[in-house]
Amino acid sequence: MSEAVQYFQFVLAPQMLIGLVLGVAVILVALGLTIIFGLLDVINMSHGEFYALGAFFALALAQIGLPFWLLLLLVPLLMLPVGYIVERALIQRVFHSGDRHVRTLLLTFGLGLVMEDSYRLVFGPNPYRPETPITGGVEIFDIFLPSYRLFLIIVGAAIIAAVAFIVYRTRLGAMVRAAAFDRDMAASLGVPVQHVYAGAFAFGVALAGLAGVLLAPIYSVFPTMGRDFILMAFTVVIVGGMGSIAGVVVAGLLLSQIQAIVALYISPVWSDPVVFGIMVVMLMVRPQGLFGRLGHG
Amino acid sequence: MVDALTRSMRASHLLLAILVAASLVVAAIGAALGDIFYLRLATEALIFGGLAISVDILLGYTGLLSLGQALYFGLGAYLSALVLMVVPSFWAAIAATTLASAVAGLIGGFIVNRVRGVYFALITFGMAQVAAKIVYNTRALGASDGLIGVPVIDINLGVTSISSGSPVGFFLFVLALIVVMYALAAYLLDTPFGRLLIALRANEARIPFLGYRTMTPRLAAYVVAAVIAGVSGALYPMLRGFVSPELMYFETSGNAVITVVTGGTGTLVGALYGSALLTLLKSVIGSFTPHHLIVIGILFMGAVIFLPKGIMGSIRPAIERMLARGEKP
Repeated sequence: MSEAVQYFQFVLAPQMLIGLVLGVAVILVALGLTIIFGLLDVINMSHGEFYALGAFFALALAQIGLPFWLLLLLVPLLMLPVGYIVERALIQRVFHSGDRHVRTLLLTFGLGLVMEDSYRLVFGPNPYRPETPITGGVEIFDIFLPSYRLFLIIVGAAIIAAVAFIVYRTRLGAMVRAAAFDRDMAASLGVPVQHVYAGAFAFGVALAGLAGVLLAPIYSVFPTMGRDFILMAFTVVIVGGMGSIAGVVVAGLLLSQIQAIVALYISPVWSDPVVFGIMVVMLMVRPQGLFGRLGHG
Repeated sequence: MVDALTRSMRASHLLLAILVAASLVVAAIGAALGDIFYLRLATEALIFGGLAISVDILLGYTGLLSLGQALYFGLGAYLSALVLMVVPSFWAAIAATTLASAVAGLIGGFIVNRVRGVYFALITFGMAQVAAKIVYNTRALGASDGLIGVPVIDINLGVTSISSGSPVGFFLFVLALIVVMYALAAYLLDTPFGRLLIALRANEARIPFLGYRTMTPRLAAYVVAAVIAGVSGALYPMLRGFVSPELMYFETSGNAVITVVTGGTGTLVGALYGSALLTLLKSVIGSFTPHHLIVIGILFMGAVIFLPKGIMGSIRPAIERMLARGEKP
């Protein structure tokens, strides 16, 4: 009996906690992705690079001496105008063509290439590891957890709750959902659809940037950081149901646990194929994912 | 009587003839100068042009964006390398890859064709990722190192034989093979089957009312594209002597899509021009700065916004008009 408890305490539980941290991190990135898809009907292939942009903003601002806590607020605010401009200047140009899905996907794909290479140009290819803002660790039920990771879980949960509150319980959120459900009807009822669209894109991108700031001390900052992370985020969005916030949370927690368990029992190198395999099967069996779309039911 | 599709295909053939002529000039200059590097690079451009043709059959004609065509390219490359390391015979390698990519395309086609539109793009992407990770993790396939030491082979053509180690000879051979694949695809697309594919792109819901199936032609297009990608991939280890998991990664699939969109979606020949252009750009910009992706990315974004038909798609209508004038009695 005590052996089972020890196994849980020293092997399984720490692994699941690592999974939880990854899950919260992925959910933060995937939230923006799913909002942008749910509202704008745009697959943002450059989302991973916006995540990286947040981390690089934080890196650059930390070098001029700004404290981490200020960056948590400042970087998302900096990301908002970037996202707004990208939506108005680039995405709107191909948004109204017949082949919206394909052309916006291609456009953001190209944007991602440019952004990623720009980071390499400015910061070089090597990874930076920002100092962890909170050092030390805590023991929860005799399980050791670095304090910063606990902080990440709590802050992440708060951000997720705040986003859900904004989307589902505020007037702004109602306008956003209305614009997603029926663009023309929302416009005729006085919703400034153009600004709502650009604003939602900016909001999604700012969330990715915030995730970049939060995760930089754990996963390091390097030009291709978005590429590795975004695959998992895409999987979470697809399994959860593109455009669904609840879906992202459920799928994010579920898939990160699956990944952690696979890494423990099979091998870490097989966790990616298993997770992507789940994505393919999900697309085959239930392409709309576990939950519906934002603004649709 | 010539309809618009046949005429546009003839315009593409004319553009292909120009490309072939230019390639022959390149080969002659390369041979005269005894160049190896640029001829090998041009051969690689042709090989990736083959992959781009397979993307164009799906995207340009059937309206399916595949973000995972590297799956079949990589399958062809790995299988060809494995075959060549056991039996150094070109025809054995090509036969094996044709068969294997047809079977894989059929299986993959059943999986990906369950969904439409943006989900199709994502499922092809996911499937290629799974395959790439499996290859990456398989020690028997060289894991992250890939397979090295693929022997140089002599391609037996009956009357003569060409060594894959000869820069000019192999370039011309690959050129011929790519032209054959282009001709095959162009022929297929100009048949009633090809018209059905174009109808699928235009309005899939209406096809059953006209008495046609939708699944069969979609699946057939997917298998044809898989075979063309697989055979193109089979040429890669003959050129470079190795294969690596990078060939199966999203970069390869993404590059093929960039190639097609820049070159001209739905023109077939645009895939080859696009590949030549991108290879040239990479090599020219690459000699100044390692950051060629910025330039290519901006160019690509510009093409998506301002030139949605791509370069060949913008040039071809003029040739079509010229051909139309010639047809009048």
